[in-house]
This record gives sequence, C-alpha cells and structure tokens, in this order.
Amino acid sequence: MKEILIKTESLSKSFSSGGVMQHVLKNIDLKLYQGDFTVIMGASGAGKSTLLYALSGMDTPTLGTITFAGQVISGFSADALAVFRRRHCGFVFQQIYLIETMSVIDNVLSAGYLANKDRRAVIARAKELFASVGLSEAVQKKFPVQLSGGEAQRAGIVRGLINQPEVLFADEPTGALNSATGLEVLNTLTRCNQQGQSIVMVTHDMRSARRGNRILYLKDGVILGECNLGAYVHGDEARHQELSAFLTEMGW
Amino acid sequence: MLLVRSNLRKSRGQTISILVLMLLASFLLNLWLMLTLDYKENFVRCHERLNGEHVALVIDRRPQKVRSCLTQLLEADDCTEEFYLDDALEMVGSFSYHQGEVNSELIFLPKEKALVRPIGAAELVADSDYDSGVYLPLLYRSSETEIGKTIEIAIGSQTRSYVVCGFFNSTMTGSHNCGMCAVLLTEDCYQELAQSGAASEAAFLSVRLKTPSESEAFRGRLMERLSQEEPEARTISNDYAMVSQSRYISQMICSGIVSAASLFLLLIALVVIASNIAGDIRENMKNLGALKAIGYTKRQLITSLQMQFLGSTILAALFGILISYLLFPVLNEGMISQTGIPYEIHFLFLPFLLTLGILSAAVSLVVWFAARGIGRIEPIVALRQGMQTHSFKRNHVPLEQSFLPLTFALALKMFFAGVKQNLTICITMLVLSLMAVFSGVMASNMIADQTPFLNMIVGEMADSCINVSQQSEEAFLAQMRREQAVEKVYLYNSVGVRHVGGAELMATMADDFSLVNNTQICVKGRVPKYENETAIGIKYAKETGLVIGDEITLAAEGRQQKYLITGFTQNSNNLGKDCLLTREGYQRMGTLQNVSFYLNLKEGTDMDAFHQSVQEQFSGQLHATLNVRAIIEGSSYVYVSLMKMIVFAMLLLSVLVMAFVLHLLVKMMLQRRKQEYGILKSLGFTTGQLILQTALCFMPAMAVSLAVGLVGWSFLINPLMALFLQEIGIVICMFRVPAGWVALSGVCLLTFAFLLVCLLSQKIRKIAPRSLLAGE
Repeated sequence: MKEILIKTESLSKSFSSGGVMQHVLKNIDLKLYQGDFTVIMGASGAGKSTLLYALSGMDTPTLGTITFAGQVISGFSADALAVFRRRHCGFVFQQIYLIETMSVIDNVLSAGYLANKDRRAVIARAKELFASVGLSEAVQKKFPVQLSGGEAQRAGIVRGLINQPEVLFADEPTGALNSATGLEVLNTLTRCNQQGQSIVMVTHDMRSARRGNRILYLKDGVILGECNLGAYVHGDEARHQELSAFLTEMGW
Repeated sequence: MLLVRSNLRKSRGQTISILVLMLLASFLLNLWLMLTLDYKENFVRCHERLNGEHVALVIDRRPQKVRSCLTQLLEADDCTEEFYLDDALEMVGSFSYHQGEVNSELIFLPKEKALVRPIGAAELVADSDYDSGVYLPLLYRSSETEIGKTIEIAIGSQTRSYVVCGFFNSTMTGSHNCGMCAVLLTEDCYQELAQSGAASEAAFLSVRLKTPSESEAFRGRLMERLSQEEPEARTISNDYAMVSQSRYISQMICSGIVSAASLFLLLIALVVIASNIAGDIRENMKNLGALKAIGYTKRQLITSLQMQFLGSTILAALFGILISYLLFPVLNEGMISQTGIPYEIHFLFLPFLLTLGILSAAVSLVVWFAARGIGRIEPIVALRQGMQTHSFKRNHVPLEQSFLPLTFALALKMFFAGVKQNLTICITMLVLSLMAVFSGVMASNMIADQTPFLNMIVGEMADSCINVSQQSEEAFLAQMRREQAVEKVYLYNSVGVRHVGGAELMATMADDFSLVNNTQICVKGRVPKYENETAIGIKYAKETGLVIGDEITLAAEGRQQKYLITGFTQNSNNLGKDCLLTREGYQRMGTLQNVSFYLNLKEGTDMDAFHQSVQEQFSGQLHATLNVRAIIEGSSYVYVSLMKMIVFAMLLLSVLVMAFVLHLLVKMMLQRRKQEYGILKSLGFTTGQLILQTALCFMPAMAVSLAVGLVGWSFLINPLMALFLQEIGIVICMFRVPAGWVALSGVCLLTFAFLLVCLLSQKIRKIAPRSLLAGE
C-alpha cells in the first residue's frame, strides 16, 4: 500500500481578470503517492500549472484544502509556505529560472544552504548530484547564460533536488529544449524517480508523459481521468499504445 | 511621443523621484542665482536711488579751517563728482540688539535734514506718530527695538533714553559693518544731545565719485592728505567697495552654501538619471531590439529618452522655480534682518532662464551619454536573449568558499553586481557626508559654542573694554590691578593706519600680544614683538603679494614708518584689511590720545555694577565702558541665526535626498530583480530574508563612501569653508571638527538608510512566486 503524500479536498482556484472571475480549478479531490512519477496532462489553459503550483505551496487555493506530508498547507501564510517549500519541495521550471548573476554551483548552494546548516554536507550532495547528471566542475563554475539548454535544465534539476525534497515538481521541464537535450533531462528525471524520488510533472508532450507511472488528465479545471502505466521501461511499445488510447479517450 | 508616454507609464515611481530631485535642484539653483545676480545688485539700486556717497567721512571737529581744507582737497581731485558737507554729532555708542549689544561709531543726524541730504540721503522704511525720539537703521529692528519702545543708548560715558519712532535705510551708514552707524534724532532730541556735550561736534562728508570702483584708493588719498593737514583730528571713514562687501557678508555665505547644495543636488540627480537610463536599457533590451527591428533608428530612440527626461526636467524646474519664489519671502525677511537693506521680491528673468538652461543642458548631455549603449544593440541578439550586461569574468563571493551567513553572502553578490547603483550611492553619500560634516562643524563651532567662530571672525574676546584718556592710563591700570574682580587687564586698541601705496588698514595694538586671549591671532608666522614689526591680514597679504619678511611702509597722523612683516593675522572686522602693531610700533607714527583696555573679569562679576564703579572712580576720564561679550553676542546673532537656519535646511535636505535616491534605487532594483525575487521565494526564501538581503546589499557602498566621505571632508572642511569666507578676510579656517558628531552622524545616516531601504523593500512582500507561471 503506497503512502499518501499529498491530498486535496474540493481544491478550487479562481482568478479575477478584467473584473471577470475565471475558475481555473474546480473542486479537485486528489491523492498523490510516495514514489510516484505523476504526470499532469491537458490542453493549454486547462489549469495544469495552476494545479502544480497549488499542490507545491507556491500558490494558495481559493477554496478547499491541501494536505502535504500530514500538514494542511492551504492555510499557511506566505512565509510559512516559503519555509515549507524549502524543506519539502523541489522545483524544475520550463524557463529553468537559474539566477543569472550567480554561477551554477552558487544557484544550487543558495537553495541548499537555506534548508541545511551543514554546509559541507550540502556541498558534498551538490557534487554528487552534479556528477549524477553529468555536469563537470568547469560547467558548475559557469554562469547560466554560458550553458546549453540541456546543461541549464540539468543544473535546475540539481537545484530542485539539493534539499532532498519529498516531491520534485516539474513544470514542462522539456518545453524550452530541443529533442536531444529534452531526452537527457527526461532520462535524469526517470533515474531520480527510479531511485525513489517522488515527481509531479506537468507536460503536454506525450513523449515526456510516457515517463510517468500515473497520468492525470485535466480539462477545464477538473480531472477528467487518469491512467496507471506502471514503472517506466525503455522501449515498452505497449505502454505507449496504452497512453495513446487514454489520451484519445480524453479527447487529446 | 508614443515611446515617451509608454516609458513614463512604465516607470511612474522612478519618474516621480527624479522629478523631486530635479525640483529640489532647480529650487536651490534659482535661489542661488537670485541671491547672486540680483540680491547684491539691490544694494547698487538702493545706493543710486538715495544718491549714495562713495566715500563717507566723519571728522570730530567743525572749524572753518577743516571745512575749507576738505573742500580744497575734494575740488582739486579729478575723481570727485560732487560732495556734501554738513554738521553732525559723533561718539562711540552702544544699545541693545538681539539679546546683546551693538557698539559702533554713532553719527547722530537731525532726521529732517538726513532725509533730504542731496548726497547719501536716508529713507524712512517705518514711521510713526511719535514726534520725539530716535530713528534706527532697519538692521536693528528687533523685538527689543519695536516702535514705541524706549531704548537706552550709551553715548560715550553717558546713557540716554529715546522712544523708537521708526526705522530708516541708508546704504553707507546703516550698519555697524559700515564702520560708522547713523542714528536719526528728532530735532528736539538732536538739540538736547548737542547741548549735553555727550557727543562730539563733527563734520559729516559725503563724496560721490566719477568712478565708484576707485572709492578705496580715493579714501586712502583723502585720509593721507587729511592726516597731513589735520594730524590731530580723529576721523572715521568708509568707502563704497568696503561697505558693499561688508553689508552682504551673510548673503555671500548663504549664497555660497546654497550654490554648493544646488550643484551637489544636481550632480546626484544627473547620476540617478544616468543610472536609471542604463537600467532601463538593460531591462528593455528586447523591446528596444524589437523597435530597432521595425525600423527605429538610434537617434529616434535616444530622442525619445531626451524628450522624456527633458520634459520631466522642465516641469520639475518650473515647479522648483515657483517654490523658490514662494519660499523667498521667508529667506528675504531673514536676509533683510542681516543686511539692513529692504529688498522687494520681483520676477527675475535671467535666473529663471539660467536655471532652465543649466538643468536642461546638463540633463540632455547626461541622457545622451547614458543612452549611447542603444547604438550597440543588435536587434536579433536583443530579441533572442537580451544583451549581456553582467560581467561573468568573476564570481564574487563564491558560496562554496564563503563562511558568511547566506543572506549576507547573497547581499554581497547583489552589491558586486550593481556597479551603477553603487556609483549612485557613493556620490550621494559623499555629498551627504559633506553636509553632515558641515552641519557638525557649524553646530559645534557656531551654535553650541561660539568661541572658535568668534576667535576667527572677531579676533579677540574679553569681558569688558574700557577706553580711557592717555593721561589717566597709569592710575587706571594701577586701580585695575588692585580690583579683585579683574583677572587680567591688557592694552587692546584699534586705530586706522594707511599702507603707503596700498589700502587703509585697521591696526590693532597691544603692549604684549602674548597677553591676549585669542592664541590664534596670528595664523602664520608670529605676532610683532618689537617696534619695527607688524603682522598683516593674510587676505590683504595675498591680494598685494606681501610675504613674511617683506618690509612695508605704514602712515598715521602724517608720519610714515617702515615695518617688517613677521606674521599674518586674520579677522573679518575690516574685511581682512588689518595689521597688528606693538604700542611702541604705532607711536613711531602717531600718538594715542585715548586707549582701550580689555579686561577679563572673574566669573559671576556683575558687569554693569563693575562698570558703574569704575566710572565713579574715574569720573570724566573714561570715554567708554563696553560689555564686549554682549556686543559680540549681539553682532554674532545674525550669523548664528543664519547658520541655524542653514544647518536645519541642510539636515532636512539630506534626509529628503537620501529618501528620494534610495526610493529610486530600491524601486529600480525591485523592478529589475523581480524575477530573481520570485525564484528565490519559490526556493523557500521568506520575505523578511529578501528584505534584509536587499537592505544589506546597499550597505557596503554606503558604509565605505560614508566613511571615506566623513573622514575626507573632516580634513577638507576647513579649506572648503575658507573658500566661502575668503571675501570677509578669512583665508585659513581653524574650526574644530567634532569627531563624536561626525561618527554619530555616520551611524545615524547608515541606520536611517538601512531602515529606509527595509521600508521601501516592503513591496517584495507583493512579489508572488506564482508570477513565474508562464503560458497559463
């Protein structure tokens, strides 16, 4: 029996735009489990990223509750959420968002030092993670604009993992990359998941979605359906067909 | 135009801050130009309106012989345009003034005659129905001398009471700074004074010259001839050059300080504009690339920035000028109480034009200079990724090796990344540190304790001055040495002498200069010890090229003698035209009929009772007893009150400048680093941590520039002050720099800046990590 990591009840999120309320998420009841590679799919404007940021404590819901690692975070203040995020969440963004004026390693250490006072341990973990994603010492000393897209996103993943988060939230991590570098990033994420890291990823790319073991399909702010694919195995054609069928059923 | 509107809309906060800085700069600039270009010109206008004299002379006798001698001298001189000679009464006198006393050579004139003098007429500026009493110069209008009040005027050794009937304006005799001060009496009072014998009968001469600029030389010639013709006569004189300077000492100081403040403020505003433009270019790289891509030229883009900033500048300058006119009446009231000459406020086109022109030209130049980078923008590069504006040569404060707390380390990284921001901070803090040091020096040397200022300006401070006839000198000194209340008594006497081939000098003599209280009476070299030695005013020495070791010829009472210059002295009594002589030194030229002694009295001595007792003991032999401290307090009041006003304005200006500069910098930083703050928040940084980080990133530049500024200005403040005071004879300033105040002001400025940045950074609270959401 898998342990529940995140649970939402009647999660709703609305935005006011030009005086008109837009209900982006509508009464979502959801459970996410420890060790899963959960993929959230849907068309543009379906509410995927909104759901991701609400689940990760980056944003607060308009209505409903979110329970994360046993804590109801939906009522947290902005600062309490910040402290919560640094301890429990890691992030990988589509635009990567490394801080341009800091070197790659400083981008990672600034996040690591925030949550862990043992600086030696943080540096050791950063080195280990850099090695695992294939970023050399020379690359670590570079500034973000001096990196290729793939290198930058792998650096972003290292930053997301530095504090050993319970969940790594990835928002379209391959969206800004070409197919070769995108593949490198997906391999990195898959490897992390295989080592026990829970991942929640938003994507609208079927090739990326195939890496997840649980696919949620979001449409107009509600979860329309879900598909459980099991652990990822490279070159598993049946998995691909099952996902295609699910997406076709969802109207993809 | 569309671009200008778009720029203004985007950066409303920055525009407002720049507007305020430009407004303050234009306000001060216009004020300075008004004071410099018109305020002193008012003296010339007033002088012409009253057909003022260029040389005024009072001689303490009226015989026909003196009159005909003067008439012959003036008629023979080609420079004389016209002159007028009439009777007056003259005597050293004093009366209450600003909680102290004013002491001067008083020239008593009958009011009705004084108002219609063909040369050097007086004009009434305040009158009343009182038909018996005194009219005082406008300079002395204060709460103690209100119309209707009775004032006591000490005239020689007598004191007389008069009702104040009104106030008048006289350009050449309207202030103790003129060397002589006119007092108008109603006919009955004038006759009563003449009959009492309290004041000497005198002839009052007013001369207008064909060339006013020759007034100083003409006076020298006249005094020389007069001393030859009438060696026994006691004369008091002044000239246009001296009076026009001395009556505007406050205006000169004020104008100098306002000019420095306005130029420094303009500098800050220009640096802020340059920094703002550089930041805008970096921020809007993609937009600028897009504009270039659709065909905008570099010139068009720079022109739009020129229009944006020039428009703001002109608007701010107009408001600044308006404010200067709104606040000028307050300053004018203060200045009139110090110059004694009425000034009517009116619109001045030249200062208006110059203020607009200087600001517009400076802003235009800075915009052009700061916006040159637009030319280097390649549209494709800019559209793809933006131009690289950060130097990646060096990773400052690498976290892997840093032991600093994370917030502090990240603040240092931000500090090293903001070169232009640091430059703006440094320039601002250097200016503010100058203001802090200046305020401290003035507060400590002029407001809290006036002694250093008075020693420098006045020359010598004592408790009492008693003027006795030479015949009574020995008996007087013997008695004073017996008096228990007297701590020290020493000769300190001033008389006019002439530097042959130069100007009229005020000679101060002592038997022994080591007895005087002011140990800094000589600022270079040493005081004269022997009869053939002199120390001359340092300003006068500079003007005439005299150095220590030179020999000069001085003349008095028709006799000339050579003296060796042993040192330089300085005080502002005669605008730097001074010299020191030993009594024997002076007596080589002339004889002293009356001598003044300065006395230090024991603490707690009742000055009035002491003077009363001395007068009783030496009845008829004393010419004057003066409360020196009261006189100095009275005359220094104007400077002290002016300085209080300036120090207050400086501190207020410092706070305003710091607030607006920091507001602008913080706003620019929050705008530029909005995404970075969002990323850091998403990683788990709290608002408090980010506010602290932001505030700390300003501190290194602030602390370093403040420390450098405070220490540097502490050393430079005296030479700088000397520049402003040079005109009044002060070439070497020796103000004490209060280290405690300087250090405290540094700590206060830094704390204020830190708290202000924390306050201004509260907007970080509104930056939500979800602003990183893209595409949804």
